[in-house]
Amino acid sequence: MKKNTIVMLGGFIIAGAIVFLLMAATPGSSGVELTMKELLATQNQHQDDYVTVEGLLIEDSIKWDADKIELKFDVKDNDGNLMHVIHNGTKPDNFSEGVITILQGAPTKKDTFVAETVKTRCPSKYEGKDMKDYDPETHKAKLDQPPKEE
Amino acid sequence: MFLFANATIYIGLAIAIYSLLIITFGISTKNQKLINSGKGGMIALFVCASLAMISLFYLLATSQFQYEYVNDYTSSELPIIYKLTALWAGNAGSLLLWTFFLTLYMIMIAFSRKMKGNPMVPYISAILMANGVFFFFILGFVAKPFILLDTVPLEGKGLNPMLQNPGMIIHPVTLYLGYVGLAIPFAFAMAALILKNVDDFWIKMTRRWTIIAWLFLSLGNIFGGQWAYVELGWGGYWAWDPVENASFMPWLTATAFLHSVMIQERKNMLKIWNISLIIVSYALTLFGTFLVRSGVLTSVHAFANSNLGLYFLIFMGIAVILALYVLMSRYNLLKRSAGQFNSFVSKESSFLVNNLLLVGAAFAVFWGTIFPLVSEAVRGTKVTVGLPFFNKVEAPILLSMMFVMAVCPMLAWQRSTVKNLRKNFTIPAVLAVIGMVLMVVLGIQKAWAVIGYGVIILLLITHFLEFYRGVKARRKMTKETPIVALYRLMIRNRRRYGGYIVHLGIAFITMGIIGSQNYDLQTMKTVSLGQSIDLQDYRINYERLDQKKEGINDIVYADVTVFRNGKKLGTYQPEKVFYGNWEQPSSEVAIISSLKEDLYIVLSAWEDDGKATFVVKVNPMMNWLWIGSFMIVIGALFAVWNGKYGNVTPRYTGVRKEVS
Repeated sequence: MKKNTIVMLGGFIIAGAIVFLLMAATPGSSGVELTMKELLATQNQHQDDYVTVEGLLIEDSIKWDADKIELKFDVKDNDGNLMHVIHNGTKPDNFSEGVITILQGAPTKKDTFVAETVKTRCPSKYEGKDMKDYDPETHKAKLDQPPKEE
Repeated sequence: MFLFANATIYIGLAIAIYSLLIITFGISTKNQKLINSGKGGMIALFVCASLAMISLFYLLATSQFQYEYVNDYTSSELPIIYKLTALWAGNAGSLLLWTFFLTLYMIMIAFSRKMKGNPMVPYISAILMANGVFFFFILGFVAKPFILLDTVPLEGKGLNPMLQNPGMIIHPVTLYLGYVGLAIPFAFAMAALILKNVDDFWIKMTRRWTIIAWLFLSLGNIFGGQWAYVELGWGGYWAWDPVENASFMPWLTATAFLHSVMIQERKNMLKIWNISLIIVSYALTLFGTFLVRSGVLTSVHAFANSNLGLYFLIFMGIAVILALYVLMSRYNLLKRSAGQFNSFVSKESSFLVNNLLLVGAAFAVFWGTIFPLVSEAVRGTKVTVGLPFFNKVEAPILLSMMFVMAVCPMLAWQRSTVKNLRKNFTIPAVLAVIGMVLMVVLGIQKAWAVIGYGVIILLLITHFLEFYRGVKARRKMTKETPIVALYRLMIRNRRRYGGYIVHLGIAFITMGIIGSQNYDLQTMKTVSLGQSIDLQDYRINYERLDQKKEGINDIVYADVTVFRNGKKLGTYQPEKVFYGNWEQPSSEVAIISSLKEDLYIVLSAWEDDGKATFVVKVNPMMNWLWIGSFMIVIGALFAVWNGKYGNVTPRYTGVRKEVS
């Protein structure tokens, strides 16, 4: 065999190792992205998954326990589904009625989502739009939609 | 002004199209006059782009809010520097900046002294001009920078406060310079292929360009990371977000390219590989832009604009298909006269391994980035892979790469014998093992950290020996003092020693990454006034909560006194800033930095009774990241600096054509 061929073979082994690494790492560290409706319907299946879900915040439901550092709130979707959320961390900035919250965590208890991270998404965040015009109604339409140009 | 500004764009588009056509026509009819006319068009194009830039700068500086862009990104009380840098705060402006750099690079190439009379010039010009047409088209029809509003607002909407940071002034500029820079080697490679020149002239000619593009890409990523660290208050510097990945992938492939070209120079091998790498790097810059601007992926910090990304995707598709076509049609020419590997243990093979690792790393990032899209298409659910995936995959690759880097300088070209392997490796390997044992004894026991630092010790020693042996050999001949010898040695071999400095920089960055990823500590606690938080050796006394006014912004701040092992370090103020024209407050963190670690204090929330919640983090070895970054810059600059020695313009030996 020519040495070039052997070197090529070695190369393939390294490439194979990297692909193997990819395959091995994918299932363990992946999560699923669901809508609230799907999540509530199939909660039991996803108890051990790392789930990303979006919901509209209900401002009146926010309860913040500073000593325990526990934040509880409810989110809803456009079909009237409701979900309780517990998050051991502080409120994100810009946490107001109707804002889209991106939750990541697991639905461990019935109708309750234990969120490891809570982020808010305002589609206008990086587009220099006026936050005073912020309108909860317009955000409903954007739930579970990728950001689009307005 | 409105007319003038828009005219620069549309006339620019017309000129770009004209130049592209006239150059192509000139090439096919071998008419030098037409080519010269096209080159004139290039200068005119540069003038257009410059005037458009000046117009936008002027409008931003004088706060002419009747322009949509000015209104969207600035307000009248903004400091002048941020008014100006708002040019790259949005889509249209940043594309204008990109276009400007492209035209600048274009005339630097077409009128460079070294390329005078070279038949490659018209081809290169045409390829770059095609890019120019695309960007002017985008500016003219998709993301227009100069749009008048129907009414004249009294006040602009202001610049997102997160972008009001020195890091944000330079980060986009450096990144775009890097992105555009990769178009140059691409154009050279394509021109060489079209002309059927299969030597490495194009590589030698573009080496400096590639390193500069690479340097700017590195800088862009580093500034981005540093901005995230000081501004976003989450205590990290890299989150594997699609936007970050978009700029990391071309960096990886460009790094691979910079190494594999050395094999082509020495052994005339890997020609196809090199051309593919440069095509991929170039395509990835466009693909990254597509990802960032199209909104196909859920990212917290993507631009929200849907159809712009599509144009980039189409343009990338066309560019890649044409490039592949050219490559395929010259495949036989390239395959001929390739060299051979002489041994498995040699510099060449270590370069090859390094290349595979880098490309593998790029592929892994690519895979992780587009995985949600693939899984949605295949299975219907969007499966996301997050931070853990990337860390799990990239950590072993990074580690292997460090190992190759550590070993490579000790290997000989062509072939390393067992004897010289033993001679070169005994001391470094023994020292590295001693270092690892010491670490375990001293309490560093995480496997990743021990192996990682062990490999880095090996790298530092082999690189030190490389400098040491070079100096020793030189002194034998010249009897210079060690310092003089080191200096002369380095400036006579700029590429080599510049490269080593970059390697050392990467080693420092890796030290920082390993330290901060494995040994970071975090606590979140709510305390009343006068109470304190303890974390590791630190005690943070919470003393006061107050608010102040700065311009139109309200700032809530806490006074905390920090003690380390009972010794007072000083009083610091983590703050939360509420902006006059921005709803969303942002955290200004307090960072106490030392070589060993950073203490990172965030004021998260507070109650009416004065209780406040703090997030306190200890991030070990963060400064090493920044030191390493600095060394990368020094090393890369050192390598490209125009020195007296060994700086010969490569001779063109390719095909002669009548036009140049």
